[in-house]
Amino acid sequence: MDEKGVTASTIISFAKKLEEESFKFYKQMAEKYTINKDLFLSFSEECRKTKSMLITTYEETISDALEACFVKGVDLSDYVIEATITNDTDYLTALNMAIKLEETASKFYFVTAEQSEYLLATISRALRKIAEIRSNRKNKLKSLL
Amino acid sequence: MTILEEPIKKVLTIRNYIGGKFVDSEGELIDVINPATCKVIAKVPLSTQDEVSAAVQAAKEAFPEWRKTPPLARARCLFRLKMLMEERFEELSRIQTMEHGKTIDESRGETRRGIENVEVATGIPSLMMGYNLEDVATNIDEYVIRQPLGVFGIIGPFNFPFMVPLWFAPYAVATGNCIIIKPSSEDPISQTKIAEMIEEAGFPPGVWNVVNGGRTVVSAMLDNPDIAGICFVGSTPVARDVVYKRCGETGKRVIAQGGAKNFLLVMPDADLERTIAACMTSFYGNTGQRCLSGANLVIVGEGLSEHEYNTFHKKVVNAFVNAASKIRVGYGLDETVQMGPLRDKDKKARVTSFIEKGIEEEAKLILDGRNVKLVGDWPSDCFLNPTVFEDVKPEMTIGREEIFGPVASIMRARNFDEAIEMIHKNPFGNAASIFTSTGKWARKFRYTVQCGNIGINVGIVAPMAFFPFSGMKQSFFGILHGQGQEAIRFFTESKVVIERWF
Repeated sequence: MDEKGVTASTIISFAKKLEEESFKFYKQMAEKYTINKDLFLSFSEECRKTKSMLITTYEETISDALEACFVKGVDLSDYVIEATITNDTDYLTALNMAIKLEETASKFYFVTAEQSEYLLATISRALRKIAEIRSNRKNKLKSLL
Repeated sequence: MTILEEPIKKVLTIRNYIGGKFVDSEGELIDVINPATCKVIAKVPLSTQDEVSAAVQAAKEAFPEWRKTPPLARARCLFRLKMLMEERFEELSRIQTMEHGKTIDESRGETRRGIENVEVATGIPSLMMGYNLEDVATNIDEYVIRQPLGVFGIIGPFNFPFMVPLWFAPYAVATGNCIIIKPSSEDPISQTKIAEMIEEAGFPPGVWNVVNGGRTVVSAMLDNPDIAGICFVGSTPVARDVVYKRCGETGKRVIAQGGAKNFLLVMPDADLERTIAACMTSFYGNTGQRCLSGANLVIVGEGLSEHEYNTFHKKVVNAFVNAASKIRVGYGLDETVQMGPLRDKDKKARVTSFIEKGIEEEAKLILDGRNVKLVGDWPSDCFLNPTVFEDVKPEMTIGREEIFGPVASIMRARNFDEAIEMIHKNPFGNAASIFTSTGKWARKFRYTVQCGNIGINVGIVAPMAFFPFSGMKQSFFGILHGQGQEAIRFFTESKVVIERWF
């Protein structure tokens, strides 16, 4: 357990917030940039589902004998993302913001999935699945540039 | 630092749940204190003997109809109970942190383990089946049927206020019995919350009862002739000298789980990084207040020269102390916290007295948890930080007796056999683990060690709901254990029928 040992609860809360903020972000994208409304709405819906899937997996897997240090060597401040769309935000800036969001989020999920692999396999799998969803989303967004 | 919202906003008055109703007790009310904040969160009654009698009467009256209820219908009550627990999963977990002190991850884990027992018990139509054989003699068939016995008492400990009564209760009611649960008076809220779900889950009045209190309630349960059996988890002196003895005298079935002094062996070929991670949970999870906690870490020098052994020993000790010193201690509702407080001031004083005894007996204190450092500004009354002693001998008080706190005793063993001898000289036999990459040592350990729960590269040997929670020597008194199939056998009588038709 090193200095940056992070509890499972902290990781799940961080991920939950990440999915909630992403959900809102893509809702805003869909409202403002109608050109790809359906795509952005589908991203938003995905965030709602992944949040629910992750929480369910965590609550169904967590054990009273869990190693207290869930992941280590992870500094959550590396994955804090500011993604807000204002009236002045143009489409290209918003797309780049979304790509940055997906890059950072997928990195967070890949790292935590790898770190938690031998502690809670099902949670690790859920984190990896979300990382892949995020990574695919990033590619879709890039193709819109 | 962000504290998760506390589900208990005002001081609760705990009531008994008898015959399907919450009723006030005539007994004195005592405080239930959140050990992290030292605030009173509830008042719990020390119920009277008459109140136990009333609960037994309610259970007795409910029994004939409940045992006639088809097993599938009984299972459906458990399915609904599980769903209600899932709906209130987070609330139930946070309550455990508030009443006991454990971290939120630990509480959620405890909730999950409890629910798993409810889930397993829903399989009662299959689990309770008997067996038969035709033609045991000419035209004669023989079969076994399992029948419930009546009323059972369940006496819970303070360290797992939600989960431990559920090692027994779901199986007892699934098999058609009625129960009276006495939660620990130190943290009784979880069991009250479960009682709130019982009616909605569809259990008839009197099937599931909760009577709060202390020794008076325990004595009344032990002496009541209408209680067929008792399940108890607590200290060895009470398990052996009170519960087991009195159940023997009054002819009750008994599961009495006592204390522990668990040894963890580290072999030279162990994966050190993962071993240390597992050890942190084992020694410091639940603040060391669990009968499966690691107590003695034995560094084994099998096959090593003196010099090699000293180098290996130093490496393990340094890694252990380094990890232990970084555990963040504080209020369990702070998600970043990795270890909570002891349950109360008296428990802290008891653990502190063991630390003092260790110093007096000349064990080497290499990490002193009495220097309390907390995440957050909380009263330190119930807190200790992780503590580590080196050069502990098995005959020292801290190497021999159950401390039930965040104290690790590191010991030396030159070889595997010496380490096994240490385990066997200790009177307890709850759990033991070995960390190794060699199958030969793992198998020999599993085969030889006289402990009920064995870990191979596992620090906390917590059996899943479908396996029995075992125990040997001074850690367990009885024959059958809680959880799974053994619980089904405990809560039922096997009736043999031999049948011939003329």
